[in-house]
Amino acid sequence: MKTRKILFKTFNTLWVGVFGLIFLTPLVWMISSSLKHGSEIFAVPFTFFGDKILWANYEEVWFNKNVPFWRLYWNSIKIAAVGTFFQLIISSMAGYSLAKINFKGKDLVFIIILITMMIPAQALIIPRYVLFDKLELYGTHWALILPSMFNVTSIFLLRQFYAGLPTDLMEAARIDGANHYGIWWKVMLPLTKTPMVTVVVLAFINCWNEYLNPLIFITKYDLYTVAMGIQYFLYSTDEVNWMMAAASSAIVPIVVLFLFTQKYFVESIATSGVKG
Amino acid sequence: MNKRKEAIAGWVFLSPALFVFVTLIFFPVIASILLSFTKWNFLSGFDGIKWVGFDNFVKLFKRDRDFKTALRNTIIYAVTTVPVSIVFALIAAYMLNTKVYLKKFLRMCFFIPYISSMVALYAVCKFLFGLKGPINQIVQMFGGEAMKWLTSSSLCRIPIISVVVYAGIGFSLIVYMAALQNVPSELYEAAKIDGANELSAFFKITLPLISPTTFYLLVVRMIAAFKIFTSANILKYGSNSSGLVNIVYDEAFGNYAFGYASSVAWVLVGLILAVTLVQMWGQKKWVHY
Repeated sequence: MKTRKILFKTFNTLWVGVFGLIFLTPLVWMISSSLKHGSEIFAVPFTFFGDKILWANYEEVWFNKNVPFWRLYWNSIKIAAVGTFFQLIISSMAGYSLAKINFKGKDLVFIIILITMMIPAQALIIPRYVLFDKLELYGTHWALILPSMFNVTSIFLLRQFYAGLPTDLMEAARIDGANHYGIWWKVMLPLTKTPMVTVVVLAFINCWNEYLNPLIFITKYDLYTVAMGIQYFLYSTDEVNWMMAAASSAIVPIVVLFLFTQKYFVESIATSGVKG
Repeated sequence: MNKRKEAIAGWVFLSPALFVFVTLIFFPVIASILLSFTKWNFLSGFDGIKWVGFDNFVKLFKRDRDFKTALRNTIIYAVTTVPVSIVFALIAAYMLNTKVYLKKFLRMCFFIPYISSMVALYAVCKFLFGLKGPINQIVQMFGGEAMKWLTSSSLCRIPIISVVVYAGIGFSLIVYMAALQNVPSELYEAAKIDGANELSAFFKITLPLISPTTFYLLVVRMIAAFKIFTSANILKYGSNSSGLVNIVYDEAFGNYAFGYASSVAWVLVGLILAVTLVQMWGQKKWVHY
């Protein structure tokens, strides 16, 4: 009976494993192509490495004269970091308010936010474009950072977590003379580390992968993000190996970030899970 | 602490969120609804806004061929990608849950595409499906003929559907794995004693118990499919594969027809609302809470 079970499990691992590897194939192909000479990419039969490992493709992408990836990286990291920071603070405050403070009108606010959640950001880009144009934010990174500051999912996640924290803690702090500001910052906020990491990882990945907003609001090469960089290489050259070096440069750091934060990431999706 | 102070604190804590919400969501929603009933070329300034009632919508459904193609594509993308990725994710989650070794590694394989940049994935897809690309090489290996996956009007949706399924499975998989862990194992044991085999236990116990998750995934993935944009913009071969968001983008930032583009956007919103309502109504029939 036991050997049968092991055999069965091994058999299952094999066929599910085949599918798992198929899922990695496009990414493996991408990395392989990014290290080859252009003429080797579509050669039959396929080999993972070409005659030589051409790091020169990455050199071209990272030090391109119009859109060097080191600058795109800097831009994307800056936008994602600032946007994520504000999203975290704003969501944490709102979550605390909605979970732990009693006041009139809070339910109404909650319902209105819920209803507008159904409306996709894609339907709002036109008024936002007009607004940013009038405020002279068009063509700046603020046009990308501002929309990422408000995220219903993050507010939800933190609100749920705050709601689960015992009120006794607050009472004790209150007797010591603390007000809500002190209670939030000193007592409650430090207890929400787990959901905060989740919010940070989700927000960072969303900002990093964002495509529509930079496409609309960013015009200058100097301000391009990583996603725009891939598009630049797609439109401006025929060198597939360069394009694949650009695509690899965009995906690899996010995968590494994921591997380190897997636990938080998976949990958050399992409980609340939303992307963009 | 008195009530007034409490209320002030409540609003103070909410105010940063409310400020961004009102300026970047609430106000744009109202503006966008109003704009969808106007004719406005952005380049003509605010004086150029003309109220036209339902004209935009009439024009969309009566005369605009690109729009109709995009609407059809959007629906095709939703009805193909959602069931395929959900069924695949369910099978994979069921297997990964208890029936395989290397669970974490395999989960990672299926999940990595989900966190990858869609622009990068479509860039890869463009060459995988290219005329001399690996997919055609495989087709030829089996004696088939190289196909124009990207440019032919009948095939051009296949690469997009593949990428959407490929990138979306990881999400559904994780949600399903969490749901499957909540199915009490006593139920399976009881079924076993009653002589049920694995397959009938799956259909009679697992499937009904996780139906709320299936419902949630249907709604969420359907909405995500409606919003497909990156694909047609990266693969760029005519408008054959465009979805509704591509039309919004092209009309707004190609032609500066802000009023017209807004009405396309609201067709998209309508579609999302309709599907959500229908599914909410339908769930009573097959979701067991």
